[in-house]
Amino acid sequence: MGDYGEGRRGDELPRVFLLVVLAGVVFSTYASYLFYLQVIRGGEFQRKAVTISRQIERLPAQRGEIYDRNYNLPLVLNVDSFALLVVPAEIPGDMRDTVFAKLAVLLEEPLDEIRRRIPPSSYRMFQPLELESSVTQSVIVNIAERIDEFPGVSWYSRPKRNYLDTGSFSHIIGYVGNISRDELKIYYNRGYQTGDILGKAGIERQYDSVLRGVDGRQYKTVDVRGRRVDAGIRDVEPPLMGKNIVLTIDRPTQILAEKALGERIGSVVVLKPASGEILALVSYPSFNANLIVEKGGNNEYARLLEDTRMPLIQRTIQSSYPPASTFKTIMTAAIIEEKSIPLDETILCSGEINYGDRVFRCWIRKPGHGRLDLAGALAQSCDVYFWEVGRDKLGIERIVSYAREFGFGLATGIDLPGEVSGFVPTPQWKERRFHEKWLGGDTLNMAIGQGYLLTTPLQLADMMAMVVNEGVIYKPHLLKEIRDPRDGSIVTKTVPEVLLASSISKDTFKKTKEYLRGVVVEGTARYPVNTKAVTIGGKTGTAEVGLHDRWHSWFVGFGPVNATDPEDVIVVVAMIEASNPWEWWAPYATNIIFQGYFEGQTFEEAASALGLLGKTISAGARVE
Amino acid sequence: MMASIKNLAKSMDWVIVLAICILMVIGILFIYSSGVTSAGDIVSTEYTKQIVWAVSGLLLMFACVLVDTKRVVDYIPIIYGFFLLVLVYTRFFGKVVNGARSWLNVIGDYGIQPSEFTKIAAALFLARYLDRSAHEPSSFKRFAVSLAIVAIPMGLILLQPDFGTALVFIPLYLAMAYVGGINRRYLLSLIITGGITIVLTVMPLWQKIIVAKPSLLLRILYERPYVIYTLLVAVSSLVLSLLGYRFFKKKYYYGTAFASMIFTLGLGLSLVGQRLLKEYQIMRLVVFLDPSVDPLGSGWNILQSITAIGSGGVSGKGFLQGTQSHYRYLPQQSTDFIFSIISEELGFLGGIAIFSIFFLILIRLALSIRNIRNVFSSTFVSGIFGIILFHFIINTGMAMGIMPITGIPLLFLSYGGSSLWTICIGVGLSIGISARKFDS
Repeated sequence: MGDYGEGRRGDELPRVFLLVVLAGVVFSTYASYLFYLQVIRGGEFQRKAVTISRQIERLPAQRGEIYDRNYNLPLVLNVDSFALLVVPAEIPGDMRDTVFAKLAVLLEEPLDEIRRRIPPSSYRMFQPLELESSVTQSVIVNIAERIDEFPGVSWYSRPKRNYLDTGSFSHIIGYVGNISRDELKIYYNRGYQTGDILGKAGIERQYDSVLRGVDGRQYKTVDVRGRRVDAGIRDVEPPLMGKNIVLTIDRPTQILAEKALGERIGSVVVLKPASGEILALVSYPSFNANLIVEKGGNNEYARLLEDTRMPLIQRTIQSSYPPASTFKTIMTAAIIEEKSIPLDETILCSGEINYGDRVFRCWIRKPGHGRLDLAGALAQSCDVYFWEVGRDKLGIERIVSYAREFGFGLATGIDLPGEVSGFVPTPQWKERRFHEKWLGGDTLNMAIGQGYLLTTPLQLADMMAMVVNEGVIYKPHLLKEIRDPRDGSIVTKTVPEVLLASSISKDTFKKTKEYLRGVVVEGTARYPVNTKAVTIGGKTGTAEVGLHDRWHSWFVGFGPVNATDPEDVIVVVAMIEASNPWEWWAPYATNIIFQGYFEGQTFEEAASALGLLGKTISAGARVE
Repeated sequence: MMASIKNLAKSMDWVIVLAICILMVIGILFIYSSGVTSAGDIVSTEYTKQIVWAVSGLLLMFACVLVDTKRVVDYIPIIYGFFLLVLVYTRFFGKVVNGARSWLNVIGDYGIQPSEFTKIAAALFLARYLDRSAHEPSSFKRFAVSLAIVAIPMGLILLQPDFGTALVFIPLYLAMAYVGGINRRYLLSLIITGGITIVLTVMPLWQKIIVAKPSLLLRILYERPYVIYTLLVAVSSLVLSLLGYRFFKKKYYYGTAFASMIFTLGLGLSLVGQRLLKEYQIMRLVVFLDPSVDPLGSGWNILQSITAIGSGGVSGKGFLQGTQSHYRYLPQQSTDFIFSIISEELGFLGGIAIFSIFFLILIRLALSIRNIRNVFSSTFVSGIFGIILFHFIINTGMAMGIMPITGIPLLFLSYGGSSLWTICIGVGLSIGISARKFDS
C-alpha cells in the first residue's frame, strides 16, 4: 500500500475547489432560471395550462399503387376503409357497458374481445385507442347516424389494399400487415410507429419505404381535458401519398406463363436478357393476398403455412434444385473455350461407362447414342460424352470455376426478399462437410448437373442470359420505374446494372448458341418445342430425385436465335417439380409461352395453335 | 470486525445518506403521482417497483460502504474486463428498448442495463490507472491511456446505440482526469474539439431548418466535396505548422499547430458523427436551439414540460393536483420529466428544495476529498461527483427547456433500477473512502 501514501496536497486543494465552484455556479444559474419560470412568468404559464392546448391527429398517407410494365391498369388498389378509434375516458362510466355491447354487435366481435381491446386500465385515458383497423363504410355510416349513442368513438380513413390480380401475382407483389412488436423495435428509429401498416412480403416489403408515403398531421385546439374548443381553427399538414411503382412484369405474359404452367408444382421465369427485366415470375402453388390482408387473415396465413406444398414459397428464387442436363450448356461453353477436345472429334457412347466399382448409365441406356461430337452430344444430351470430357479433359476445378462464372452459387440480387443463392460444391467443401475425398464419381455427377449442385430457376435464366448477351449478365429486377402519384411523372428509372461480366470469348458464346439451336432443331427438344412463331435455342433437363419414376423437368430456352435487336430476345425457364405426375411438361410449357409471347396470343389461343390445349403429355419413357 | 463497523458508522457521512433517502422518498411519491390520472385512477404500478429498487439500492449502498476499496484494487481490471464482455454480449443478445439493444432481462420484468454499471467499473479502473501512473514521465501517454479506458466502454455503448448513457462518460472522465492531475492543456483541447464536433455535426440540419437561407460560406464545413477540401487545407496547415515548429522552434508555430489540430479533429469527427447519429438525434439538438421548429414532435415535449413547471408558480398546485401531468400531456413523466411534475405540484419552493439537496450532496462529496491524499480515492469520488452533476444539469435543464432532450434520468428521483443502483454503489464506495481517510 506504499503507493497510497504519496501526498499531492499543494496542488489538490484548488482542483477540488473548482468542482465546488462549478456546482455552485450550476446551482445558482438553475435556481435563478427556475425562479424566472415559476415566479416571474408563472401567471402566464398558469393561464396557458388551464385554457388551451393543441392536440395532434395523424392523417395516414395513402400507400402507393403498383402497376405492370404497361402502366395502364393497377395491380393493387386502395379501397375505402376506416379505422375505428375510442377515447376511453370520454365514455361515461354508466354508459360503458351499453356502448361496448353496441360496438360488439356492429363490429361482429364477441363482447369479451371488445373488453380485451379496451382494458379497464385505459378507462381514464384521453389517448385514443384503435379498436379496429379496417371497418367498412356502412358500419361507419351506422355509427355516424347515431353518434350520440357512441360517446368517445371516432374514426379516420385508412385505405385498405385490394389486390386485383392474385395467384402468381401475389408471390411478386406480396402483402401488407400491421407492424409487429418485433418489427417496431427494429424500425423505431426509421420513424415507424405502433399501428403502422408495413409491407410483409414481396414488392410491398422490398419497396415499403417508397410505397408508404409520409403521414400528415392535423392539429386541433382543445382544452386541457382534451375537448375541442374551436372547431374552426384547424391546421392541416396534408399527408404525402406514397410513390407508385411500375414493375417490369408484363401482365399478359405473366398470365400466359401462369396458365402454361397450370396446376403443376413448379415455376416459370421469363427474362429480358438485354436489361435483366423480368417479364414473368410464376410459382405454383400460389395464394390469394387479399385473404391475408382481410379480417381473419391470420387463419389463412396459418393454413398456408401448414400446406405441405408450401404455397408461400416463391419457387423461382427461394427453392434450389439440381440443374440436371441444362448444366451441359455451361459444360459446352467450357469445352469450347478451353479447347479441351477438337469440336469435330467424336466419342463413342455405348450406353454406359464403368468407373471405379460403379456403372454409370447414359439416360438412353444400351446400345447408346453411338459416336457423337460436341454438337451432337449437346443435342442428344449424351451423358457419356460429358462424363468423359469432363473427367479426363476439363477436371473438377475448371467445371467449378465455369459454374461460378455463370453466376451459380451467387445470389442474383433480384429485388425481392428471401432469395437463396444455390450451391456449387467443391472438393474442399466435401472434405470439410463429410470428411470424405472428392471422387471421380462426384465429378461425373457434376458434369451432368446432378449431385450436390443446386440452382434456382432464376439463376438458370441468368445462365442463359450470359450466353445470349455473349458474356454479360444484367442484374435481374422487377422495379421498372417509380412514378409520382399526382402527375405520373417518372421519379426514378432502373437502369440495367451488370451483375457478372465473363472473360469467355464471344466466339465461344456464338458457338454455344449455335449448338443450343441444334437441341431444338434436331435434338431432344425437337418434338416438344415445335412452335413456328420464333426460332428457339435451349436445353432440356431431367433431374433424378428420390421419387420412383418421377423426375424434375427443366427447359431453358431463348429466342429469337438470330435477333437483330437484342431487346427482342427473351429467356424462358420452366421448372416442374418431381412431385407432379411425370409428363415431361417443362419443354411444352416453354413452347406455349414462346408461341403466345411472339404471336401476341393468350394461353388458350397459343395452346390450341400448338395442339396442346387440354392435353396432358404422358411420356412413357424418360426423356432427357 | 464489529468494532470496525462501529468506527465506520461513526465516521461515515450520514448527511449524504439522509439527503439521498429524502430524494428517494420524493421520487417514489411523484412516480406514484405520475401514475395517477385526472380522475384519480391509478394506471401504473411503477411506484411499487421503485420502492423495491430504492430499498435494495440503499442496502447496496451500505454494503458498498463496507467495501474497503484499497483491498479490492487488484481485482479492478477483472471487473472492468468483465463489464466490457457483458457490453459486447448485450450488443448482440440484449433486449431492444427504444431502438437500442441495451437491456438484459434478469428476473421477469426486472431488467438491467449493463451500460449503467459499466460507469462504476470504468471509474474504478481509471482511478486505479491515474493512481499508478501519477509519476509517469510522459504526460501525453497518461492522457491517452486514461482517455482510452473511458472511450472503449463508451464506444461499445454508442454501438447499441444508446446515446444518452454514453454521454455520461464524458463528465466522468473530465472530472476524474482533472482531479487526477492530467495536463490541463490536453483536457482543454479535448473540450474544444468536442465543442467543435457538436457544432459542426448539427450545422447542416440547423442551416436547413432554422436558417432559411443557408450561408454559402458555411457550406464548406459540411457539404461534399467542399468539406473534403477544407479538411485537406486543415491537415496541410497542421503539417506545415509542425514542420515550422520543428525547424524554427517559434512559439507561434506551436499555437497554429495546436489550433489546426483541434479544428481538423473536430471537423473529421463531425463527419463521423453525421454518419453515426440518426437524424432524429441531431434533430433533438436542433429542436433544443429552437423548440418552435417542431412544436409537435420533440419540441412538444419541451413546451409541455415548460408549461407544467411554469404553471406550478411559487407554491405549486399541490400533490396529485397537477393538470399537465394528470391529463397526460407530459411524456415519460416518471423518468425523463419527473422534475416537471415535482415543480408543477410543489412549485418553486419544492424545486429549489430539490436543487438544494443535490447541491448539498455534491458539496459534501467534493469536500470529502479535500484532505484525501491518494489519487485513487480522490479521483474516484470526483468521478461520482461528475456523474451526479451531469445528470442533474442535463435532466433538470431539459425539463426547464435549457438543455437538449437526451433521455438521461434524474438520479435518485426518476423511475428505474439500473441508474439508481449504479449511483448507490458509487456513492456507497465514496462514503466508504472518505470514512476511512484517516485509517492506516
